[in-house]
Amino acid sequence: MITRDDIIKIARLAKLSVEDDEIEALTHDMAEIIGFADTISSAVQDGFEDFDDINNITNAFHEDEVQESFDRELILKNRDGGEQGCFLVKKRSGRIK
Amino acid sequence: MSKITYIGKLLRDKEISCTELTEKYIMSIEAENKKLNAYVNITAETAMRTAKDVDGKISRGEILLPLEGIPMTLKDNISTKDIETTCCSNILKGYVPIYDATVWNVLKNQNAVLLGKANMDEFAMGSSCETSCFGGALNPYSTSHVAGGSSGGAAAAVAGNIAVYGLGSDTGGSVRQPASFCGLVGLKPTYGTVSRYGLIAYASSLDQIGPITTSVEDAAIVYDAISIYDKNDATSQGSRKKTTDTLKNNIKGIKIGIAKEYFEGIRDDVKESIESAMKVYESLGAEVVSISLPQLKHALPVYYILACAEASSNLGRYDGIRYGYRTPSYNDINDMICKTRSEGFGKEVKRRIMLGTYVLSAGYYDAYYKKAQQLRGALVDSFKDAFKKCDVIISPTVPMTAFELNFTQKDPIETYMTDILTVPVNIAGLPAVSVPCGFDDKGLPIGMQIIGNSFDDAKILNAAYQYEQVVKNHIYKELQTGVRL
Repeated sequence: MITRDDIIKIARLAKLSVEDDEIEALTHDMAEIIGFADTISSAVQDGFEDFDDINNITNAFHEDEVQESFDRELILKNRDGGEQGCFLVKKRSGRIK
Repeated sequence: MSKITYIGKLLRDKEISCTELTEKYIMSIEAENKKLNAYVNITAETAMRTAKDVDGKISRGEILLPLEGIPMTLKDNISTKDIETTCCSNILKGYVPIYDATVWNVLKNQNAVLLGKANMDEFAMGSSCETSCFGGALNPYSTSHVAGGSSGGAAAAVAGNIAVYGLGSDTGGSVRQPASFCGLVGLKPTYGTVSRYGLIAYASSLDQIGPITTSVEDAAIVYDAISIYDKNDATSQGSRKKTTDTLKNNIKGIKIGIAKEYFEGIRDDVKESIESAMKVYESLGAEVVSISLPQLKHALPVYYILACAEASSNLGRYDGIRYGYRTPSYNDINDMICKTRSEGFGKEVKRRIMLGTYVLSAGYYDAYYKKAQQLRGALVDSFKDAFKKCDVIISPTVPMTAFELNFTQKDPIETYMTDILTVPVNIAGLPAVSVPCGFDDKGLPIGMQIIGNSFDDAKILNAAYQYEQVVKNHIYKELQTGVRL
């Protein structure tokens, strides 16, 4: 059974903020979806093997050769040109949790 | 003659110039898009520039390639250099890719005329196009019904005659289902045959780009153009043969597998349409055989576990630092990332990221993700056994016809259940094509799905083409909207 605390924990892991008024609806929806996902728990039988490829595709490697890359200014265009060739975020104290 | 072939002939015969043709489409889009909401970005300048290049080639007597000068659309999760690509999400509004997806690069080199970017469910997560931050695309057959999803915009544009063909992406049915809802042909190719480079990822082991067209022949023409090996996609294989070479082959003697598991909970009129189609196949000399796919019943939960797990990882990149939306006010870097994602993503996307995070988290990985992968292997084996007894498998594409507006807003599980017939193919990496096979009593199209073994894309298109030739006057209806030539 998924609880309110589970929702808060999952949201933290997923880097999402969940407002208090959203938690109840999310708990209900997630409980329903996870209940649906639980239907597979009895389906796996002895002898089922781990599966890690489709159509026997293996990675199509190519030679590791130096090639022309994207221009730094071009990349920064999607963030107003950045500053001194870097992405800019506001200076704030704190660290990534 | 298929629409692409016919328009190509008009251009070559100088019955119409590419500039005139493109102008017609752009003017029609301006009128029809208000009703259909098929396009989220109209690229008229790009289209006109390409049209002029094509007219230059025609005037110099140069040979045109099959898709040269043909007006088309791309789903808005296919990266287009210098053209905004949003995935219909607020988090990517304003994002302008700095490179082209391989499929668009290939088509651009053939002078395909890009009319605009097509509406879709946000990050391709949905079955109705209604999770789009621009509002959903409507069905040209009835604007009180959805065009389907997630590639709803491309389907609405093609059915509404405001694009000749479209490219969508299919992770769990997102090309086939809107094609079925809009009376079109939608091809989900074998995984690996069409490059995913530049397709904004939802679930990388399931995603595949495919065409939405008004005939099987057009689907084959587009597929042949885009199914090339691409070194930028580590899973790229390219196709093994041209599907157009064998499209018109006789299908006498082919074995069509019918699995009872594909017909459980299907609406009666949909079932009856498939039964009628089987009679057509028998008249063409095909043999209908019963097969069993016991693992099919687990496909839907397996799909949602795997797709959401992959999505939670793929969508981790949207942190507001390098591109896209960034929250205006925050206390620290963690607060910035959390607020950006919470404000930028819509409800369904957040729900799927949460589910994916849950099934991958410590303590739950073995119970959900690992088991889902094991069942994926079992489903692959189930299909392998089935294809020992038949050449293709036929089922309905969707258990019903197009949903009324807001149907998907009610209950997530009820909505997920509508994907039950399309997701198994993505889980197993197989090719499948949806072809129209009739109409319901409201005049809404019904779709039939033809599934093939891996790399048998040519075989399913051949089977679809032969059926289409017999019944084309009964399964297609040209709507009196958009450009009619």
